[in-house]
Amino acid sequence: MNLEQLEQKAKESIALVQDIQGLEKWRIQYLGRKSALSLFFNSLSKLSLQERKKQGEKANKIRKILTNLYTNKKNGLEKDVFESNKGSSSLLDITQPGDKKTKGHLHPLTLITRDIVASFEKMGFSIIEGPEIETEYYNFDALNIPADHPAREMWDTLWIKPKTKNQKSKMLLRTHTSPMQVRYMEKNQPPFRIIVPGRCFRYEATDASHEIQFYQIEGLMVGEDINLSNFKAIISEIIKDIFKHKVSVRFRPSFFPFVSPGVEVDIKQEIKGDQSNDKWLEIMGAGMVHPDLFKRVGYENNRWQGFAFGLGIERVAMIKYKINDIRLFFNPDIRFLEQF
Amino acid sequence: MKVSYNWLKNLLKFNTTPKKLADILTMNFAETIVKSTGKRPILDVELGSNQVAWASGHLSLAREIGACLGKKFDFPQPIIKETKALTKNLLSLDIQTSNCRYYSARILQGIKIKESPQWLKERLIDCGIRPINNLVDAANYVMLETGQPLHVFDFDKINSEQKTIIVRQAKEKEKINALDGQDYILNKEMMVIADKKQPIALAGIKGGQGTAVNKQTKNIILESANFAGNNIRLTSKKLGLTTDASWRFEHNIPFELTAYALDRLAELIQKIAGGDILKGKLEKIKDVSGWKEEKVEIPIKWENWEKFLGWPIKKKQIIKNLSLLGFSFKERKEYLLVTPPKFRNDLKIKEDVMGEVARLEGIDEIVSFLPKEQLKLPVKNEFWIFREKIKDWLQGYGLEEIYNYSFLSEKDKEFLPAQWQEKMIEIENPTSALTKYLRPTFLVNFLKNVNYNFRFTDEIRFFEIGKIYSLKEESFVFGGVLAQKAQSSNQLFFQAKGIIEDLFHSFGIDRHDYIFKSLDKTRYSDLLKQGAAIYKGKDLIGVLGQPQDSFKKHYDCEGEIIYWEIELSPLFNLVNEEREFQPLPKYPAVIRDISLIIPQNILIDEVLRVFQKASPSFLEEVDLFDVYVGKNLPQGNKSLSFHLVFRSSDHTLENKEVDKEIEKIYKALKSIKAKIR
Repeated sequence: MNLEQLEQKAKESIALVQDIQGLEKWRIQYLGRKSALSLFFNSLSKLSLQERKKQGEKANKIRKILTNLYTNKKNGLEKDVFESNKGSSSLLDITQPGDKKTKGHLHPLTLITRDIVASFEKMGFSIIEGPEIETEYYNFDALNIPADHPAREMWDTLWIKPKTKNQKSKMLLRTHTSPMQVRYMEKNQPPFRIIVPGRCFRYEATDASHEIQFYQIEGLMVGEDINLSNFKAIISEIIKDIFKHKVSVRFRPSFFPFVSPGVEVDIKQEIKGDQSNDKWLEIMGAGMVHPDLFKRVGYENNRWQGFAFGLGIERVAMIKYKINDIRLFFNPDIRFLEQF
Repeated sequence: MKVSYNWLKNLLKFNTTPKKLADILTMNFAETIVKSTGKRPILDVELGSNQVAWASGHLSLAREIGACLGKKFDFPQPIIKETKALTKNLLSLDIQTSNCRYYSARILQGIKIKESPQWLKERLIDCGIRPINNLVDAANYVMLETGQPLHVFDFDKINSEQKTIIVRQAKEKEKINALDGQDYILNKEMMVIADKKQPIALAGIKGGQGTAVNKQTKNIILESANFAGNNIRLTSKKLGLTTDASWRFEHNIPFELTAYALDRLAELIQKIAGGDILKGKLEKIKDVSGWKEEKVEIPIKWENWEKFLGWPIKKKQIIKNLSLLGFSFKERKEYLLVTPPKFRNDLKIKEDVMGEVARLEGIDEIVSFLPKEQLKLPVKNEFWIFREKIKDWLQGYGLEEIYNYSFLSEKDKEFLPAQWQEKMIEIENPTSALTKYLRPTFLVNFLKNVNYNFRFTDEIRFFEIGKIYSLKEESFVFGGVLAQKAQSSNQLFFQAKGIIEDLFHSFGIDRHDYIFKSLDKTRYSDLLKQGAAIYKGKDLIGVLGQPQDSFKKHYDCEGEIIYWEIELSPLFNLVNEEREFQPLPKYPAVIRDISLIIPQNILIDEVLRVFQKASPSFLEEVDLFDVYVGKNLPQGNKSLSFHLVFRSSDHTLENKEVDKEIEKIYKALKSIKAKIR
């Protein structure tokens, strides 16, 4: 659409606006961040200096016209409301604010975790929990990550200082929720589907996108015929459920020693009319459970197969609420908390 | 890993644009981004730790890209012209450690050291390596090409007449001056390349200054070896020295590369630095077991493919993908016998092989089907639900939910009383002094929260559900903090107590399930100035009260603060939500008010007990509606006012009957020195 047409269309449609709500919709459509006009301004940077100046002036003129249209219409509508209230003969001043109610707020990570857990429960996954202080065995060795394996570098670990010098098994702060895969399978026979939400830790210097502690949801589904295609189907459904269908999902190869093959899941937000944001964000590491794990917990050979995954909760919360700094989650600030 | 797009294109001859190539690699091989565009585009390939060994060179990457594009790629064979002089007459090998699995060397004589040609320098720069001179550059170049790290020694700087290259473990406290100019002190676990006198290189990690090539260099020794990954990793970690070479060796590179890269390096050096290649290469194989002589054959039943991957895949398609990836195989009626390519040390089981085929097909491309599983309700996790309900209730009471760090700092620990310090868990390798301990209580974090948030508000109402940690265990607690800048007379304490009581009540936890007792003799008496301990039977399960002034001062918090923390699992065991309906009363109640003055040291609990005891059958409810201390009262006394509710279950109470009950109560009250007003 060219600018003249845009102006014409905006004028026509504002004439039809009847109330404040309608006007706000009009504002978002014609003057909002994602409006055709804004996108036009954004595209100016690609033009030559001279062309930019010419087109910029033109667009600025239109913006001024549209802004005036908006202000006039708004004043008009507000006046209408005011007049209609003033005319009422009741002693009740309905414009006085209601009594202030002081309900608290749940933390965004609680809200997101509930969303995710609810989606998985609908699919029949049960919630299991595990310890934050783990043994080296469950966190690493049982997951095919022995001490001299280069893959250990993928998990920077905070170790617990041993109580005695000769302590046999070293303790650590779990670096992922995956230890629960083996812990759970040791005590339960398939078929099953579980999720394990919980706090994890990494040896990491904190900045806007890294934290020393974070939340993960582990998933594990094992049966006689649970296959890679099933994994894709379930995860796609759940991600669409969590994000209300406003995301695309992609699956690509990856590597974790306790699955084969390994898969990484990325998502991308779909924003209408906005092509600029085409960044894929990693939210999940996954794969088909490595048969070594089944062997380790004493399952019958070649009978079971299934998938496992680990979903990063902060990542999902940051995408959903457009939070740009992960540190906000763990440094309580009333101005942040009250927003949820 | 930075790779040159032009280099790859030159090897494989494709028409794919850098962006498209990055997409293909991401979806079929490893996550890749276009690092820079222009005349010399650079890609950044993030190899999985299983891929480094066999895909960290441009040749091997070209082979993998070929597989993705459906093109077969063969490594070019180096062509070497040797002189008549024999290598072995000038040099011998002595491999003394099994951490060196394979060692090979060649000698070149009469080379000319100078700057590298432009094309070579550009490729190094594109891949993030600084050009130095044609010899060093050639070694780096062939490493980038093949994935095999290489080294060049100055032949004439090797000590002694009869020159020998020794590969051995270092002696304790042995020293080497490495190419980076640093002195490294070694131990027995580390492996060195040495001459008869001293170490000349840190095996697989960095060369030594003593045998480095320079402008005077005429004759050189080329080294191509295979070292045990775990030993290189250990040394590199201990010395804090990671190099392009150590990174590759750590991942156990394939044996096949060693001899190939040696010849390739000789060929390249001759091309850009001249000189003669002596006849024959020296080589020693130490660890024969590492050679995969025996053929790995993995049988995969035809029906397995669909069962595991989940979509029908044709035999033809399987075989095509496997050949592209360099597998060899034998087709049988029931199954396929698969042998992974020799360079792949990461493929051991049938799932690995099927995964490789899925990767090439594109996991994103394949059809997805929901599983055909039994409809089964998930098992309810009652403890989880319990905690989520608490959150909802506390939100309803107007509290904000917070998440704090699990950590306390060194300073925090030092400020805690000794009996708390003793039980704290210490982190062996904290990221800083701030994360050295795990929290044994919520109090410290809460005080920090109050201090910080008083900047924005005069009133704080926070709660948190999370874990506290002690040497014995980690346990879920629910804690809260109420704070206000203005002082009040214990208002916050009763607010908090009310919240806790009502919360307990809503879970069916009744007054006879728990009691509030004095803090004395609990570990909390060190933290709190005054408050109450909550007991379930003999077990202390929580606490509620005002922090000690010293804590408030230390964490710089003014005003009135009440905090609580209660362990959740003992509480959870009390939960009784099975409620039974109580029939509505048939007969009306009679309500009488009563006010009394009693000495302040008599607890309200005691008064309530007196009421119950005096009128066991008709007194239904006692409701304290006013407590007063101050003017018009004798010193040391308080005034209490109650609504008393009387009711009988089988008749309408008459006034006379109620009067009689009141009489009994008055009498009983006198025994605890109460005066009726």
